[in-house]
Amino acid sequence: MKFILNYIRKEEWSPYVAGVLLGLVGITAVWASNNLLGASGAFENFAGMLGKALAPALFDNMYFNFIMPPGITYGVLLLVGVFFGGMIGAATSGTLLWGKRDAANSDAQLKSIFGPQVWKRWLLAFIGAIILEYAAGIAGGCTSGLAISGGMLLAPAAFLFIMGMFASGVLTALIIYRRRY
Amino acid sequence: MINVLAIVFGVFFGFSLNKAGLTKYHKIVNVFRFTDLAVLKFMMTALVVAMSGLYALRGLGLLTFPNVPATYVLGNLVGGLIFGVGMALTGY
Repeated sequence: MKFILNYIRKEEWSPYVAGVLLGLVGITAVWASNNLLGASGAFENFAGMLGKALAPALFDNMYFNFIMPPGITYGVLLLVGVFFGGMIGAATSGTLLWGKRDAANSDAQLKSIFGPQVWKRWLLAFIGAIILEYAAGIAGGCTSGLAISGGMLLAPAAFLFIMGMFASGVLTALIIYRRRY
Repeated sequence: MINVLAIVFGVFFGFSLNKAGLTKYHKIVNVFRFTDLAVLKFMMTALVVAMSGLYALRGLGLLTFPNVPATYVLGNLVGGLIFGVGMALTGY
């Protein structure tokens, strides 16, 4: 028992242990709620809901009517849970930076590559998030929703997605890091 | 009921992501530099555990699968290619 408590307090688990935990959560989610774990769809559900309220004509299209139904869906609630789960994870290891200065800009490697300015971090996150969400919309899911959740049902889509993701990810990292790669 | 379950699963999902270090920029980017393969280990462990568990349980008739993500080769590949750019850029 003490061993388990101490392990929970560790900041960084063995990826194998964390992976087993996620695998078990994935199984339980399918078993208990007949749903998959996913993240990117939730943003589209939520954006669709906001869009329908603010500009109904603009959002009255195929995509938001049939493919991504707007509203507070299972995915949105899951994402709320993910937010708090991540916070609990950080709090148990004592690394929660909530409210601390420079909290969103604390990654040493990021600073050494892009510089220490906070606005660069925000800009990078904003542009990157647009790319990510757009790509997830095309592929039909993101790392969690398609690669992990689809992969555990042995969906071919998941493995095609992982192939593409690693091919361009390595290439992008090469371009950004150049000599430091 | 299903809404409560969604939040509970989300909490465990986020917790495992945090403990594996996937909430950090350097973890995600270093997997593309092949200097730290934690993300890959985490993903593949989760996949192996979940796929063997799910198929075993389905074989026993204890659960049915939800909608399997649709396969359309070009979309999945192109989506993955664009996604990789964003992932290596932001460390999501």
